[in-house]
Amino acid sequence: MKGLFIISGLGILAMLAEIFKFKKILYPLVLVGILAAYAMTFVDWNPPTDHLSRLDELTASFSNMIRFDQVALAFSGVILVTAFFWFILASHYFENETNITDHFALVLFALVGALMLTSFSNMTTLFLGVEILSIPMYVLAASRKKDIASNEAGFKYLIMGSFASGFLLFGIALVYGATGTFDLGGISHYISNSHGDVPAFFYAGVIMMLIALCFKVSAAPFHFWAPDVYEGSPTVITALMSTVVKTAAFAALMRLFNVGFHHIGDVWGQIMAVVIGLSLVISNITAASQQSVKRMLAYSSISHAAFMLMGVLANKNGFDSISSILYYSLAYSVGSIASFTVLYNVSKDNNGHIEAFNGLSKRNPFLAVCMVVALLSLAGIPVTAGFFAKYFIFTTLIGTPYKWLLGVAVVTSAIGAYYYFKVLIAMYFKPAISTEPVKVEMSHTVLLIITTLFTLAIGIVPGYIIGIFK
Amino acid sequence: MLGYTITQWLFGILSFLAIMFALMVVFTRNPINSVLYLVLTFFCIAGHYLLLNAQFLAVVHIVVYAGAIMVLFLFVIMLMNLNQDTEPQKTVISKVVAAIAGGLLLFVMVGALRGSEQLQIKQYGHSDIGLVKNLGNVLFHDFLFPFEIASVLLLAAMVGAIMIGKKEIK
Repeated sequence: MKGLFIISGLGILAMLAEIFKFKKILYPLVLVGILAAYAMTFVDWNPPTDHLSRLDELTASFSNMIRFDQVALAFSGVILVTAFFWFILASHYFENETNITDHFALVLFALVGALMLTSFSNMTTLFLGVEILSIPMYVLAASRKKDIASNEAGFKYLIMGSFASGFLLFGIALVYGATGTFDLGGISHYISNSHGDVPAFFYAGVIMMLIALCFKVSAAPFHFWAPDVYEGSPTVITALMSTVVKTAAFAALMRLFNVGFHHIGDVWGQIMAVVIGLSLVISNITAASQQSVKRMLAYSSISHAAFMLMGVLANKNGFDSISSILYYSLAYSVGSIASFTVLYNVSKDNNGHIEAFNGLSKRNPFLAVCMVVALLSLAGIPVTAGFFAKYFIFTTLIGTPYKWLLGVAVVTSAIGAYYYFKVLIAMYFKPAISTEPVKVEMSHTVLLIITTLFTLAIGIVPGYIIGIFK
Repeated sequence: MLGYTITQWLFGILSFLAIMFALMVVFTRNPINSVLYLVLTFFCIAGHYLLLNAQFLAVVHIVVYAGAIMVLFLFVIMLMNLNQDTEPQKTVISKVVAAIAGGLLLFVMVGALRGSEQLQIKQYGHSDIGLVKNLGNVLFHDFLFPFEIASVLLLAAMVGAIMIGKKEIK
């Protein structure tokens, strides 16, 4: 809760920086603020017993609209860590653009939306969270105003996103019509009390909400916007979209379906299983034929969305599926940040065509090694975090009726390994176009060292994150 | 009259008109006519709010939507000189696909809402539920957090609109 307030305040502070002329110190200020918000997740984690009543009081004072329980705090932690890494990656973006304070404000407001999505416990806060996250992203996607691809990305994202929001609202209205409450616990209570005797339009509402959120996480039949938007947006904004936005949307999806609609898992489970199957097949096969690394990462993010959806689909009681999704989103976010940092440094001008990676091992061996670790993690090769992420997701799915998805996932992961290796082969075995070494600035070097070590570390000792709720 | 109460008659007429005008919004080729039909649709919806005892909401709906936002729409259309019948022709296949997709959604909605007339209404509102006083009570007690956080949403939208619309000044 405190973290949310800190980030909101930081966003407003960023807008004041232009007037009161402290633009120069804004960047370190934002980094410190995000760290402070992150520290607050630890403060709120284990409230002492006399504190507990105060926490309940605070929650009650907001009429149970938002609830920072341990699950919400854990996902907030992942989002804030990723955001911190992202700000280091994006330091250049904030130096070169005009109206930098507005950019800071928009990114921070998007973070507010992301934190709300991890912690909502009412349909109104869900909808507000989705919109607060989306609207700054529409603008940021179009933020390179002179570039026609960026304009197209922003416009496409806005039109499609508004359409999805319409579906979300329609779904919320139908669910409210059946249950008479916006409260997540109230809806769950209604379902378990009605013993299957719920009106048909309630299910229609649930499925509409599923469609809207599948759009936000770019799962398969609703993924058409993703490659164009990811490719057209500035590279750093693409990195933000595929990490923070995705983690937040998954936290929301998980909270809604595994808490609110937990008892009717077999109704939405079938549809979600089909969505996952389609995402796996379409994304991996299309990604294999891409020539742009940025576009390839967009398709790979669709396939990662499918993996995280599997955790939601398992719909287990207790913390099994939650901690596996948490681990997956952390591993995926850190791996993505690392690979986008390399992509940003390697191809500043040609928009991520794979030829830019040719002979990178000669031009800058450090970048090549970091890219290898990041891609191996995304592909799910052992010792890296990505392997255990996939492993934990698979174990949650065993014992559910959707075991057939495991077969699809294994086969498509093998196809996935092919396109990740295409980049590795380009880096190590193709002759370089120019012999000029690629320069990397200090902050990016530090960022790459941290993310690479982090990927290896949580791959070696995954227990710390998997056992976080015990 | 025919076994229906006056409220039910009003509901039927308002619903029929709302659907008719909404269809006209889509079917007219002239954008100005579209906007005017949309205004009429909003009036019908406001009538529905009145039937639901939400008087304040009905008035605000007319003032904000029909009054302010639709006038803005008209201004934009007139300023950008869009008031010609220059809707681009769509291909047959996209029309067919759109018809199938829309038809399926209609099918699902009709199927889902069939039989719901036998449902019991859970909560009856009081007759003064829509008055400003009660609305304010709910807004500033139960919905305090969403109400406050909506300011972040509006701020983000404003900053974004200005950022996109403004000329680049170094």
